[in-house]
Amino acid sequence: MGVTDLPAPRVGLLPQVPKPMRFVLNWGRRYSLWVFNFGLACCAIEFIATSMSRHDFIRFGVIPFAPSPRQADLMVVSGTVADKMAPAVQRLYEQMPEPKYVISFGACSNCGGPYWDSYCVTKGVDQLIPVDVYVPGCPPRPEALLHGIMRLQDKIAAEEWGERGSPLPATEYPSLTRTPDGA
Amino acid sequence: MAPEELARAFAEWFGTGVSTEVTHGQLCADVTPYDWIEALTMAHDSLGCTFFDWLSGVDDLDLDPPGISVVAHLYSPEHRHHLLVRTRVPAADLRLPTATTVYKGANWHERETHEMFGVVFDGHPNLIPLLLPDGFEGTPLRKDFILASRVAKQWPGELAPGQSLTDLKPGRKRNLPPGVPAPGEWGPG
Repeated sequence: MGVTDLPAPRVGLLPQVPKPMRFVLNWGRRYSLWVFNFGLACCAIEFIATSMSRHDFIRFGVIPFAPSPRQADLMVVSGTVADKMAPAVQRLYEQMPEPKYVISFGACSNCGGPYWDSYCVTKGVDQLIPVDVYVPGCPPRPEALLHGIMRLQDKIAAEEWGERGSPLPATEYPSLTRTPDGA
Repeated sequence: MAPEELARAFAEWFGTGVSTEVTHGQLCADVTPYDWIEALTMAHDSLGCTFFDWLSGVDDLDLDPPGISVVAHLYSPEHRHHLLVRTRVPAADLRLPTATTVYKGANWHERETHEMFGVVFDGHPNLIPLLLPDGFEGTPLRKDFILASRVAKQWPGELAPGQSLTDLKPGRKRNLPPGVPAPGEWGPG
């Protein structure tokens, strides 16, 4: 089966989504993040703790029941990424549908952490895939992940329509190019 | 069986070709590489060590004679004794007959020892890398393996919180851990 390029998502005939609608659409997206946990080490336990009743990130609309990366919006890489594992991380990231987001959770996936000098550990998952939010800590507490999720939701709320997952480069929509302050 | 009895059994079988010592309540028997398979077979058949626990390597390239020691840990479920069998493969010819003929479970352990230490196990059915990623070069568990990250960045652990590298006394000679070359010895100057 060949690859089909889908047109950029748009509302009605307008190439641009008016700001109030964009607000509502982004508001819907930011509170229905189906998350896929790429648990590789002890940080995954903290992720699980965050999903359980005490911290309960489902109250933020983060739903940890994505049956596969193909149904997920958010990937949380929690743990040590080994060079042997790196192709799998990349492959599963590529299987996720756009728009997709990545949270790098913990020192190991941020930069290698205590294994910074190892012969087999990838020095940060951002060498393989783009990362939206980094959560520091070894391991970070569940509150830190909740904070990271809220930062990601702020980021989604500030997004222009078509900024993510558009087959057209951003230069074709001059008004859609990102500005450093996120405005 | 007590470790002393096991030592006696090894001494009877191999004579002067074996040296034994009791460490941590277990017997460790050093044999020559030629006696490696015979020692394992003897442990399996005569001493009841039917359970193969693990096999690994030790970098003894800085000892005399230089080589890689290969150690196998065996256990007897019947007599409940542990046994370490060790041999030092000479550095000039890192070859050892495979232990998979005696213990099938040694297969993956030998693959790992092969990729980590560079010991070639003759007669192994499938001696391909087990854990290292494709295209990896080098034998990372040897002491002479260079850790490239350590070359680029000094070990930050010797600094107290809030200290920077310039605060360290320059005159003091630092002990370099394994895998870390002296400054200016490796890589682009």
